[in-house]
Amino acid sequence: MNPFEHSQQHLLRRTFLGDATRGLGSIALGSLLFPEFSNASELARSGGGISGLPHFAPKAKRVVCLFQSGGLSHVDLFDDKPMLHEHAGKEIPPSIKGTQRLTGMTSGQSAYPVVPPLKPGKRCGQNGTWISDLLPNIQGIADDICLIKSLHTEAINHDPAITFMNTGNQQPGYASMGAWVSYGLGTENENLPAFIAMVSQGTGKNPGQPIFSRLWGSGFLPSSHQGVGLRPGANPVLYLSNPPGVESSQRREMLNDLSELNSLRAAELGDPETLARINAYEMAYRMQTSVPDLTDISQESEATLGAYGPEVLKPGSYAANCLLARRLLQRDVRFVQLFHRGWDQHIALGRQLPNQCRDIDQPTAALIKDLKQSGLLDDTLVVFATEFGRTVFSQGKIGDPGMGRDHHGRSFTVWLAGGGIRGGMEYGATDDFCYNIVEKPVHLRDLHATILHCMGIDHSRFAYKFRGLNTRLTGVEEAHVVNEILV
Amino acid sequence: MTRQLLVLTACFAVCVSLNAFGDTKLEYNRDIRPILSENCLPCHGFDEKARQAELRLDLMDSAYADRNGTIAIVPGSLEKSDAWTRIISQDPEQVMPPSKSHFRLTDVQKKKLKTWIEQGALYAGHWAFIAPNKALLPAGAIDNPIDVFVRSRLADNGLKLSPEADRSMLIRRVALDLTGLPPSAEEVEAFVNAESIDAYPQLVDRLLQSPHFGERLAIDWLDSARYADTNGFSIDGGRHLWLWRDWVIQSFNDNLPYDRFLVEQLAGDLLTNRTDSQLIATGFQRNNMVTHEGGTIPEENLTNYNADRVKTLGESILGLTLGCAQCHDHKYDPITQREYYQMFAFYNSLSDKGLDGNAGVNPGPSIQARTVLRTNEESALQQQIAQQQSTLANVDKEVLSAWEAREKVTLAHGGKDFALHPIKVVKVSTPNRGAGFEVEGESRIRLKEPGGMGAFDISTELPKIDRPITGLRVIMRPVAELPGGGWGKGIAGGGKPKGKKKAASPEPIAESAPEKSTKGTFMLTALAATADKIPGDQVNLFKMLPIARVTANSWERGREPAGCLNPLNDSGWSPDLATDGPVHLTATFSEPLTASETPFLTVQLNFGNGNNLVPELIELQAVTGTDDGTDLPNEIERSLRIPAANRTPEQALLLWKYCAEHAVELESMRTELSNLQDRLDVLTKPFTTMVMDVAAKPRETFILNRGDYSQPTDRVQPGTLAVLPAFPADATPDRLGLAGWLTAKDHPLTSRVAVNRFWKMLFGSGLVNSLADFGSQGEWPSHPDLLDWLAVDFVDSGWDTKALIRKIVLSKTYRQNSATTPELLERDPQNRLLARGPRFRLPAELIRDSALKISGLLVPRIGGPSVNPYTPGDLWREVSHYGSSPATAQTFVQDHGEKLYRRSLYTYWKRTAPPPNMMAFDAPNREVCTVARGNTTTPLQALVTLNDTQFVEASRAFAQRVLSRSDKTDGERLNWAFLETTSRKPNDQESHVLLKALARERSRYAMHVDQAKASIRVGESPIHPKFDTVELAAWSQVAAILLNLSETVTRN
Repeated sequence: MNPFEHSQQHLLRRTFLGDATRGLGSIALGSLLFPEFSNASELARSGGGISGLPHFAPKAKRVVCLFQSGGLSHVDLFDDKPMLHEHAGKEIPPSIKGTQRLTGMTSGQSAYPVVPPLKPGKRCGQNGTWISDLLPNIQGIADDICLIKSLHTEAINHDPAITFMNTGNQQPGYASMGAWVSYGLGTENENLPAFIAMVSQGTGKNPGQPIFSRLWGSGFLPSSHQGVGLRPGANPVLYLSNPPGVESSQRREMLNDLSELNSLRAAELGDPETLARINAYEMAYRMQTSVPDLTDISQESEATLGAYGPEVLKPGSYAANCLLARRLLQRDVRFVQLFHRGWDQHIALGRQLPNQCRDIDQPTAALIKDLKQSGLLDDTLVVFATEFGRTVFSQGKIGDPGMGRDHHGRSFTVWLAGGGIRGGMEYGATDDFCYNIVEKPVHLRDLHATILHCMGIDHSRFAYKFRGLNTRLTGVEEAHVVNEILV
Repeated sequence: MTRQLLVLTACFAVCVSLNAFGDTKLEYNRDIRPILSENCLPCHGFDEKARQAELRLDLMDSAYADRNGTIAIVPGSLEKSDAWTRIISQDPEQVMPPSKSHFRLTDVQKKKLKTWIEQGALYAGHWAFIAPNKALLPAGAIDNPIDVFVRSRLADNGLKLSPEADRSMLIRRVALDLTGLPPSAEEVEAFVNAESIDAYPQLVDRLLQSPHFGERLAIDWLDSARYADTNGFSIDGGRHLWLWRDWVIQSFNDNLPYDRFLVEQLAGDLLTNRTDSQLIATGFQRNNMVTHEGGTIPEENLTNYNADRVKTLGESILGLTLGCAQCHDHKYDPITQREYYQMFAFYNSLSDKGLDGNAGVNPGPSIQARTVLRTNEESALQQQIAQQQSTLANVDKEVLSAWEAREKVTLAHGGKDFALHPIKVVKVSTPNRGAGFEVEGESRIRLKEPGGMGAFDISTELPKIDRPITGLRVIMRPVAELPGGGWGKGIAGGGKPKGKKKAASPEPIAESAPEKSTKGTFMLTALAATADKIPGDQVNLFKMLPIARVTANSWERGREPAGCLNPLNDSGWSPDLATDGPVHLTATFSEPLTASETPFLTVQLNFGNGNNLVPELIELQAVTGTDDGTDLPNEIERSLRIPAANRTPEQALLLWKYCAEHAVELESMRTELSNLQDRLDVLTKPFTTMVMDVAAKPRETFILNRGDYSQPTDRVQPGTLAVLPAFPADATPDRLGLAGWLTAKDHPLTSRVAVNRFWKMLFGSGLVNSLADFGSQGEWPSHPDLLDWLAVDFVDSGWDTKALIRKIVLSKTYRQNSATTPELLERDPQNRLLARGPRFRLPAELIRDSALKISGLLVPRIGGPSVNPYTPGDLWREVSHYGSSPATAQTFVQDHGEKLYRRSLYTYWKRTAPPPNMMAFDAPNREVCTVARGNTTTPLQALVTLNDTQFVEASRAFAQRVLSRSDKTDGERLNWAFLETTSRKPNDQESHVLLKALARERSRYAMHVDQAKASIRVGESPIHPKFDTVELAAWSQVAAILLNLSETVTRN
């Protein structure tokens, strides 16, 4: 028997046996055998990441990104300033407003009066971080989180801003954060995809701004790194369930037949891609059992369920997705991202914002506490992000129930927690009108660099050659890890 | 064993690297340029701003120049070459590339540079910028020139071509390559048994004439052109550019010379005596994404649109990454930022707007035009339509009596135990307003300023009653202050809902406007409800209550109650204006609710955003018992109550007409008729399509500092790149001039790039495998002489695409067996030397198309509006602006009938939520130009072909084909099925596995007939009653195995 046939049989035997101890061995073997075969090696990458990564010992093994889609109001929730109250209802000083561009929705306004936060807040935790009373539970985890209050982006509209935040570029065509991490580090759970995305609809504004599959897409990276959607209902992953009238044991037998036929032909033609395909079918089969096990929350305790709040029982809600996120992280899924829609409060801020905050407050805090309790928080990076903040001045007339706030990319707040992050701190600062950054600006690129750093990746060395260019998540301009927030 | 292999592999790599250039002469373009480009040129290259030490390593003169005693490169002398001493320096301050730059030279690269300097450091111009020449073929060569070049390279490596593939492999390969569809079992057998020595060329000629040829070739061009059915950014409303897509298909089928193909797409509008067809062609550069997001700054977007056009032009036609020069001079290639904006200027004269397409229709400029497709279907369609119409016109007594019986039962039971109960309205919300609507009292909602408010989500508590809640009643009360004391603010006939009917609708022929009434009314465009244990602010998309029936106490003709069950804006319920007092609509749930189990009901009432037809005072009630209303028009109800014998002929006719329009038995026939009518419209009526034009006052173009739209610097005029042939002096400085420049005979890139793309389609990788980048960072061609020979020959042939493809597929190189050996795999894993036939997984579309063809479900019509086949759930609505935007394509509504079985290039491509069964197989989302898709193997692909309704149904339909054959034995049937799927017969081992599977499934389903029934009821295609359920189910499983074979999804 020649070495090719030998190794092939070896690989097939392991596949057939469904060897429980087989970690990533067989897939890695495939890639060793066929290093140049794009297909075989893509499969290997989807499991194993690329060689040389991580660049250094990571603080976090996995990431959960709680993405607040639509532009969360840093003014109302995290960045109160005494001046806002003094200046309430008065025109924002021209020296503050400057000449920066506004969106077409407010650029024609005749007045730009300052609107202080909708609700009071309090100083929380040992650091005395101000957090709105609209987020009482997040107030309670102030010591665990690190607020970056000086984030900024160039984009002023949702599409470019949310694309920028999630892919490192305002224009489409680039790979999302999760895809990058999947590509670089692969997965440690071969029964589940490395990158899982979940979408929920906020109650603030229904429907929220549209979102797009490019936000969890693979861009120019191999498509095996695209985020796999996890959805409520009988088919949590698209096409996961066997069709009616086909039982799991029956499917197993059918897949055995299929494997046998495929391997016969592979041996005849010496075709390594067929071996990769056999492996893919086996993983699909394993996903069919591992996903329902993942989404079955019946074994969660009353206390746990209670902690996440009543909506946890409603599949597809933010709360339910937070609990699923914990279950995914527990299973070592590399990158979990929630998209919660509805933060786009141009109108009726007073009516929409409290609803939206109620959606996320308790489940978010519960997730942090849950991760902390189980020890997972130590090596899980939590990113609570949004695409931009909102203007300190009103959109529409003050006093009108329809009043809201417009997009504001010049400064806004996100927070991080968990693996590698110093909790209980604030970083950077805006001016008295929380409009311009006066201290330690952090660009989106810097945030991306910091996220990768926590995962043990040097962003400047983490590139994929596309169209002749070494393309990076952090783009072509310089990016800096925000070292001061790291443990 | 793994470890041993590793060592072996490593050793092999070293051996190869040493052999690669030990004695052979290095070639600058192949061996050195890529190393310099990657590692040195970012600081010592073309980009003036980034240049260090005024040194250019891409230019011989600069590299050889003496600068204060140091010379970067001295030919033949390593010691004197400063570049070399810096490369090997141990001093971190001195070493090149600099230690902080992250560029690192590998040992192999260093060795190459060393050898190159030793050999004289010869430079050469970049091959791709020099016009190709046809290399002379050896005198008397009788081979296909392709084989001459391939053989020569193989011989250099001690290899030779593999034997020719057997005929079954060959027909499968060439049929999939040229038509995208596998050959039928009969076609395979005929070809295998053909005795003519010309059988293969004849086959090729037949395939080149197939109308499916254009479809296959179109797929790659649609990727390049980023063709899709929606606008892309943000709200991502629908658009209509399928006339352009069909132009592409027809052009390939007509073998339009490739230069004309480009000229018409780039500048069809500027041609003298331009035709509609040439205008349609200009849709190519309208395929870019556009936005209709509120707040957008138009100038910023116009800049992005043109940048996308330049990028697309560069990657798809020129093979250059022009886009890199948007913000600065190109880092690797000789393209200045100024030249970039000169190219940009060609497009900046368009009259498009930076914020357009809000209603989900075409952003301008657009025209009305008829399709260029010539499919010769019209008379057949007219006949089929007439036939269907007459069938539906003839009374089918059986259907009529069944329908009558059902309706009478419904009438008789109507109102049984009927009672209404107030529902407590807790909260109302609507996306675009925060005020102007309130809850009044317990169960009423008042919309004080109803104009254009869209969808309302109403959160309620069900009454605490023990009886099952069977339905929901929505009551609209008249309000004295409203126009005419009506129910709403809108005036019927005056407030047509925005948004177009469906993609297939031709532009409406102006109808006489309906008479305006003065009574205020409304239109309920959609109704949905969900019930839950906890209160819900919004309907839960994943738990929508199925609604069995809707009735109303009044409706306007054409706006029947059932209209609100379709979530699109174009249909809905409006009451008859003649009705006095409150009007109501009653929805009966398919399954009754129990208030104690699901105490909270959320109702969504949609009045179509931007529509004035909104009511003011709404009340909700829960229904117990049987609805007392009807959905039957009065005259139908009256006729039904008359015994059949006593009806007048008019009444009987009326009754049948109504039955024919509503009876469930005739639904598939009605669908078929409407699909046929749509198809006839597509071929005969004008539709809107997006085109290029020149604005009355074209915009001026400036170099944008850092590519930023708000930082214009120098003004520029349209112009091309200095490194390429000069723009002809007599050409007009517009897109027509650009197109002429691109397609000039001596242009070094256009023909090479095109030839390379066709080669990729046929071999899985290009001769230059960086298809979109022929620049400095691109890949050195595997067969430079062959590429050039083909490129020149292509131009000389009059840019004859079919002739080019014919030449390639007739070559021995193409016809090789694709089986490989461990030695070959080691020597040339990616088959760049072409010592074996190409084998690769089929593109996404072809996997589904193959399943449709094999199953017999395929409806092979060419072109037309995109269709919505099976998709799991409403994936669009989960991410869209439904209820908040008048844009189309916000909610997915599946098509029926033949539209489920069209080829996959006609599947509706919504950019923000593209078809998942295509995306799983590496189809691009069509947001940006994609030249050469990826080709991965993932578990999600397995889930698609195993579980997607489309594939499960195809298995069953295929089983029906198998069972319809006159074969006597399972073995004979299996042989045919295997041949039909894989184009070859199964061997004994394979037959054994499959027959065993068949036997197993047979006995399983014989014991579980219910399972068998369930398994075959997937999909909407009919099942002929002649089939035995168990037999069909068992064969369906075998068919599923066949459709999932790696071989079935592979072109080998």
